[in-house]
Amino acid sequence: MSHILSVLVFFPALAGMLGFIVKKDSIRTYGITVAAIEFILSLWLWLGFDSANGGMQFVEIVPLIPQFGVSYYLGVDGISLFIILLSTFITLIGLISLTITKNLKNLIISLLFLEMTMVGVFVSLDAILFYIFWELSLVPMLYIIGYWGSNLRIYASIKFFLYTFTGSLIMLIGMLFMAYLYYEATGTISFAIPDWHRLIIPFDLQLWLFLAFFIGLAIKVPMFPFHTWLPYAHGQAPTIGSVILAAVLLKMGTYGFVRLSLPIFPDAAVAAITPIAILSLIMIIYTAMVAYAQEDIKQVIAYSSISHMGVIVLGTFAMNAEGIGGSIFLMLSHGIVSGALFMLVGNIYDRRHTKLMNEFGGLASVMPAYATIFGIMLMASVGLPLTIGFVGEFLSLLGFYKISPMMTLLAGFSIVLGAVYMLTLYKRTFFGPITNDKNKTLSDLNAKELTSLIPLVLVVVWLGVYPKPVLGPIDNSVQNLLELMDKKAITKEAKEILSSNRAEVEAK
Amino acid sequence: MMEPINVSLESLNLVTLAPMLIAIAGGLTILCIDLVAKNLHKSLYVMLAILFLFVDLGAIIGLEVNQRGFFDVMLVDGIAILSQIIMVFASMLFIPLALTSKRFHEFSMPEFFALFLFMVSGFQFMVATDNLILIFVGLETASLALYTMIAMHNREKSFEAAIKYFTMGALAAGFYAFGSLLLYALTGSVEIYKIAEVLAERGYEPIMVVLAAVAFMIAALGFKLSMVPFHTWTPDVYEGASAALAGYMSVVPKLAGFVVAIRLFEFLIHSEVMWVRDILYIGVVITMTFSNIVALVQDDVKRMLAYSSISHAGFVMAAIMIGTTQANSALFLYWVLFLFTNLGAFTMLWISRHKSQIWDKRFDHPYSKFSGLVHIMPVAATIMAMFMLSLAGVPPFSLFWGKLYIMSAAVNADYIVLAVIMAINSAISAYYYLKLIVYMFMREPVVDKETIYFKNTSLSLKTIVGFSAITTILATLAVSPLMEYITYYVKISGF
Repeated sequence: MSHILSVLVFFPALAGMLGFIVKKDSIRTYGITVAAIEFILSLWLWLGFDSANGGMQFVEIVPLIPQFGVSYYLGVDGISLFIILLSTFITLIGLISLTITKNLKNLIISLLFLEMTMVGVFVSLDAILFYIFWELSLVPMLYIIGYWGSNLRIYASIKFFLYTFTGSLIMLIGMLFMAYLYYEATGTISFAIPDWHRLIIPFDLQLWLFLAFFIGLAIKVPMFPFHTWLPYAHGQAPTIGSVILAAVLLKMGTYGFVRLSLPIFPDAAVAAITPIAILSLIMIIYTAMVAYAQEDIKQVIAYSSISHMGVIVLGTFAMNAEGIGGSIFLMLSHGIVSGALFMLVGNIYDRRHTKLMNEFGGLASVMPAYATIFGIMLMASVGLPLTIGFVGEFLSLLGFYKISPMMTLLAGFSIVLGAVYMLTLYKRTFFGPITNDKNKTLSDLNAKELTSLIPLVLVVVWLGVYPKPVLGPIDNSVQNLLELMDKKAITKEAKEILSSNRAEVEAK
Repeated sequence: MMEPINVSLESLNLVTLAPMLIAIAGGLTILCIDLVAKNLHKSLYVMLAILFLFVDLGAIIGLEVNQRGFFDVMLVDGIAILSQIIMVFASMLFIPLALTSKRFHEFSMPEFFALFLFMVSGFQFMVATDNLILIFVGLETASLALYTMIAMHNREKSFEAAIKYFTMGALAAGFYAFGSLLLYALTGSVEIYKIAEVLAERGYEPIMVVLAAVAFMIAALGFKLSMVPFHTWTPDVYEGASAALAGYMSVVPKLAGFVVAIRLFEFLIHSEVMWVRDILYIGVVITMTFSNIVALVQDDVKRMLAYSSISHAGFVMAAIMIGTTQANSALFLYWVLFLFTNLGAFTMLWISRHKSQIWDKRFDHPYSKFSGLVHIMPVAATIMAMFMLSLAGVPPFSLFWGKLYIMSAAVNADYIVLAVIMAINSAISAYYYLKLIVYMFMREPVVDKETIYFKNTSLSLKTIVGFSAITTILATLAVSPLMEYITYYVKISGF
């Protein structure tokens, strides 16, 4: 199993290339088979993963450009393991649910390439390698939105590409500067992230570098005020594009915070708690309000997605085990739930070719199974206990409560607001009399749609009731992370916050 | 009474001249063949040119580093060898582009190939010396050949381009001559290293004259490197020249110019005359930014690539301005990677070239021509898209590494603001490269009886595109050995 990570990364890419040869009518089955194999491989990774060990596992290092300190450096820990599982799982489900027939072959090949870049980002431990996968993921997504999307697709796809591309270039300068600092300190140049973890950087410099990384990561998350590309991208993307974007691509940003920003710049991260918390709060509350005002079901979910990402950022910057662990769990649950919701919107769009709430009403009586699944996902999204959404949200907010009860209270409003817009959505769409004659003859979910949705429902309930198998490994790695940050902290403020967290952990 | 001069053959060290002489001999051979036998096929001349260039390449590789020859006029240091290798290799890749399936006037004439070889030798002279006069001779030999080759494309627009390039070139030559004159008047020498010594000794006094000389030199090289504001000829000349030649012009002459610029500005940048560095800084930033912004609004892919190549040249001039060994090595790495990508991109245009302009009244390669290409020719569209992504600096395609090295050199030399400007420029440039990708991948094809896509292909063109595509994808593996090689040569020449 020593090279399983390389296999995981390059298997979909190889399959994608071979996919060019597969004939049109079999490409669908081919895509699903490949994604299933990839998912099983990632399950195998989980099986082989030592949950008690919070460090990096399955490490592979091959020097790529030794003079420049770039290496092919892979590894997983509890933090990335589940996001990888999420990526492969969502890709598989997305491929099963695929209803597009226009140029299906290119779409499936793009998705397989996208899967490679997603897995690649989460296993890379070398900054340049990380950056390569990070940027490369834009290319298939650009094509998916720009070709299979709706009317404004070209505008949306270019906006998506340019926004993220610009941000990441600034991040790249930060990375180059980190390598330079490492060179100054040790005399050898290195882009390996674990090497950078050892650097102790003066506080002023940390702030600048933190900012450079923050711009790149925040655009991807997307943090307020860099979020404007997302509603367009979601609004115009085909269902599969929205599913992958919401479920996995946005997680790259928050994952980047955990993997890069926190351990490399602990003092700057602590100093940035308040401004980031304020941005997150704006993001949480403002986008929840915007979501309420939307007429288009997909836009409601798109904005709610931004709102929940705000909770993830808030949890991450709580700087304690609950907050960070909770936010990682929330990344997973948000991935599953928002993916499922976008898929559900896709189902209704396939039937009626509209996503406007006004067009619907009383759907529950025509499509009971659909209404049930939608209802479960909605509850999970709102954060009802015993669903997957509750665990992460609760822990994230609990974590931040230790930093600032006031702000947590404000963030807690997001749950209320979430319930408001989601239930309104549900009421307008599913309850009441059937006002529109076109809706009377709609068919309920078919076998294919059920196959793609039921696994998601199962995961939502399973991890909602029993999150321990996932929370355990995450927690171990988060403890490692916090220990590292504590050791490195140089400012008084950071030392206080980080060591008080550790004292608590030891007391337990 | 004058002393008789005794010259021994060893001290002449004629071997330093060998590479250029081989190229010239090649040109003469082609002319002689033409004299004897008429109506031979162009493929003969192409192959002869490649063979002579191959021997030329062998002669360069055989040279020992850091020697002088021919009355100390020739200087074979690391960057001379390095740049000659790149230029000759690039020439070997470009000349087979003449083997198109459509008949183009210029390639049926052997003079074209003779001129091509003379031009190569001119560029070789330019980089293998630090004597201002020989640089001038090399520059003019190459340029005059190039003017003629552009005009041979035999369209009204090509004549216009050639004349435009010629007049601008003449102006640049004037500037160069005047700059050299001032430097000679100041120091009594035309050798750059002696000029540097004398100027340093005198503390760069009288400063006004030094600055005037530098200003003339910057203007002269600015023309050749198409730095803003001396760039105005570039898009028109590229548009008028055949795509193959335009691609060549965007790579090889500029490399020769860079080498001269490194030699000329290196000591000035490291001197106390901060003005030189500042003016270069401003020039670099304006070149990158202005050409990028203008490229955004172009309707023709070839003109877009012309502006993009100006912007890339600005990017690379930044390396000269930074002036560290790492920056100078990054320059060569960047240019090698740029060579392959740009060669590929221009070859794709060349492949899609039509004799009649069915797409647009004015342009040969409007964006709309590439609409929905992915449905008609998926492989071609994918390859073209890859070249565009590489030019935009999307990893892991080749030019990403070039950008990475130059930006890293900027960061290491404490030019953080410059690095940020570079990053922003890369982001701006992504837009116009994406525009072509959008046309190719996201629009519906224009279906029309007249729309014939890549009619101009032939095996040799396909081979070259395939070769550039493979190098563009797999550059990651080549960067490490390439960098080692380049750094060795740059270090050995003391830059």
